Amino acid sequence: MSGGSNSASGSPATGSPASGVRALARFRAVAADPLAELAAAKERTGLMAVGYFDSYLPEELIMAHGVLPYRVAVTGREDLRSGEFIQGFACPASRDLLDQALRGDLVLLDGALFTRYCDSLRGVFAVWDSEKLTPYVDFVRYPTVTNTVSAVKYLAAELREVSARMAKALDAPADERRLLEAAAACNRKRALVAELAARRASRDLALSGADYLAVLVAATTMTPDEFTSELSALLAWPPPGEPGDALPVVLSGTTFDNVSLAASIEAAGLYLIADDLATGSRWYGVNVETATLAAGEGSGMYADPWEALAHAYLTRPPCSVKEPSSPRADHLISQVRRSRAAGVLFYLTKFCDSEQAEWPYLRDRLAAEGIPAFMVEGEQKGAGSGGLQTRLEAFREQIEMSGDEL
Amino acid sequence: MTTRGDTRPTRLEATESLKSLIKTYYDDLFRAAAEGRPSVWLNVGVPCEFFYAMDVFPFYPENYGAACGAMKLTPKLSAIAEAHGFSADLCSYIRTTLGTVFSGEGPYGQLPRPTVQVSAMNSCVAIMVWWRAVERHWGIPTFVLDTPLVREDSTGINLDYVESEVLRMLSWVEEGTGRTMDMERLREVVRLSNEGKDLWAEVLDLRRARPCPITAADIFTHMFPMVALRGTPHYVSHLRALRDEVKARVDEGFAAVPDERYRLLWDNLPPWFDLRIFGDLAQRGVNFVIDTYTQAWGPRYMGTIDADNPVRSFAGYMGAGFLNVQIGKRLELLTELVRDYEVDGVVFHSDRSCKPFSLVQVELRNQLLERAGVPGVLLEGDHNDPNLFDRERAMGRLDSFLEVIDSGRA
Repeated sequence: MSGGSNSASGSPATGSPASGVRALARFRAVAADPLAELAAAKERTGLMAVGYFDSYLPEELIMAHGVLPYRVAVTGREDLRSGEFIQGFACPASRDLLDQALRGDLVLLDGALFTRYCDSLRGVFAVWDSEKLTPYVDFVRYPTVTNTVSAVKYLAAELREVSARMAKALDAPADERRLLEAAAACNRKRALVAELAARRASRDLALSGADYLAVLVAATTMTPDEFTSELSALLAWPPPGEPGDALPVVLSGTTFDNVSLAASIEAAGLYLIADDLATGSRWYGVNVETATLAAGEGSGMYADPWEALAHAYLTRPPCSVKEPSSPRADHLISQVRRSRAAGVLFYLTKFCDSEQAEWPYLRDRLAAEGIPAFMVEGEQKGAGSGGLQTRLEAFREQIEMSGDEL
Repeated sequence: MTTRGDTRPTRLEATESLKSLIKTYYDDLFRAAAEGRPSVWLNVGVPCEFFYAMDVFPFYPENYGAACGAMKLTPKLSAIAEAHGFSADLCSYIRTTLGTVFSGEGPYGQLPRPTVQVSAMNSCVAIMVWWRAVERHWGIPTFVLDTPLVREDSTGINLDYVESEVLRMLSWVEEGTGRTMDMERLREVVRLSNEGKDLWAEVLDLRRARPCPITAADIFTHMFPMVALRGTPHYVSHLRALRDEVKARVDEGFAAVPDERYRLLWDNLPPWFDLRIFGDLAQRGVNFVIDTYTQAWGPRYMGTIDADNPVRSFAGYMGAGFLNVQIGKRLELLTELVRDYEVDGVVFHSDRSCKPFSLVQVELRNQLLERAGVPGVLLEGDHNDPNLFDRERAMGRLDSFLEVIDSGRA
């Protein structure tokens, strides 16, 4: 366990051991009430805020307009008012987002940016747009194919068009200098999250999985600079702790914002040592090539800054809604290997077509590598049920009895 | 609600010739495989015209899934897919087809393995993962043609991108099958396709007559050639016969539903396993005089493909395909249809297996009532899985809905 050292990303070690404890408390508080954090940030900065839902959407696009980006996290609250607008076979995570807007929780948002991440989110957009749930709402015609030059160029052009509409709608023109600063700031924070994940995986830092998820929620809720400052403190002065004898597993899924549910999973004797989440390890590797941005249009390997942005987001480890998806399995296996996890826990959100269809393939790929996998399906609600606890305990015992050592 | 004696609709003669058309199609599929000729699996958002022009046999698993649904095979085939780890919550077309792929069971036995697969993103994400499962099980090279979801139209950078995707796909198919695109032949295929599509548009238009000459079951049954045979001579001749028969019915004042009292619109795919429901409802004086699903191949969406510039023209169709647009265009279509077909009410089939079609229906129902004053009802069900359709409950809801219409008239 290190303390007070520089982080790998070069962030200076400032403060004292107490600053790490304070940072962790801050992340927990933000994850518990992200909207309070948004309110405070709006009040502090006087800036507008635009919400988004899909981690493929570059928050730098929003920041380039001098607007606060806010990824609307899934609350896991029991609330069925979205049932008046959308059927129950829309995935519960998508319905949760709609519930928040219908409750009036998101009144602080001046706008919302959607993509068709999945067919459920597309349905939520239809309602959101029709009911004007935020003053400004727009849709990014996002590519599904991620590995072609034409997709990068198309997405770059699409981001430019969305930016032009956002500038008009919010009376907030984009500024290339701000885009540069945003990309650099987001690169810094993502690199720090990557560092946190690596240190957890190597047992250099014993943050619980629930706390790690709280950090992930905070990463797209707090302003990047503030988040970076807090995470630097946490990395420099990690609170003391040991993983104990819990069984280390990788958590795989799409979005997973429910910290209480994660704590509940860990209470079954599992330790979420690494992840394969859309908002976690499949996101924090995004690194926008800022040298191109700084040098201006036509320099480097990209035609302009938007292309650099598009390329960075399209080339991240893919979600199952993207094509090709096969790098996802390689990414997942690498997460297991580097963290020496004993297995993988898949949390499939009910009615999530792409994850449900991907599960048999990922299960078989892992089996071929000798990696045990276990799948639970749920609605990302509450803190989990007693039944879930029992199943997870059975999974743990099954691995322990088989004596698998990876 | 009273039932009115034996008033089950008379079937079209064209339905009989359709059966031989389908048989010939499947014979051709198996013959192509036996002779080693290339074939391709496509989703309905990918035009078959390209492949007829390349002499690559096009096969649509969605059509196959519907056929299995009509034969009530989905529960059995789905159980096979579920045993392989595929969730019972997945689209029932997926479960049905994968059941055949994994086991060889189905109405035709095992399907021939295609040479290549192509899916477009212009209907749903589920299509992509469906093709992916087949790709992994059989090792079939698979191409995903990107068509980013648009609000209303595919223009500008979006159309340019989709066109580039079509060109990329054609090159890929040429490489994978060893066949080349004959542009002259494509133009001829497109000409035939347009001719048939115009006949289809006439059939749809003839349904405006009072009384309506055909039923929803009739038109849904005839979806097969619209999906899989466009651009072939059989397609044109069949649609001409269909058009002539429907026109003759209109000229004679023939009522597909005697005592047509309720002219309704059906939104979404039908329950393929229970097309009889339309006949049963006919006995209550109900006819679904129009629907949204068949419009996907109608003039409002497909338009006329430009034979001189087919790639660009098809790209526009694919980019703004029926399920690749947002609620605004769907509402516009519904508003036009209820007006043009003098519709009394809309039944929104809330299809568990088709999220893009279904998840906007609550909003559509509310907005349509506000905009056109036409009431709507949501009917929970599924296009292929009878286990997700409670017929008794559905009939009860429909009876209540008819009473709502009656009270509106009073």
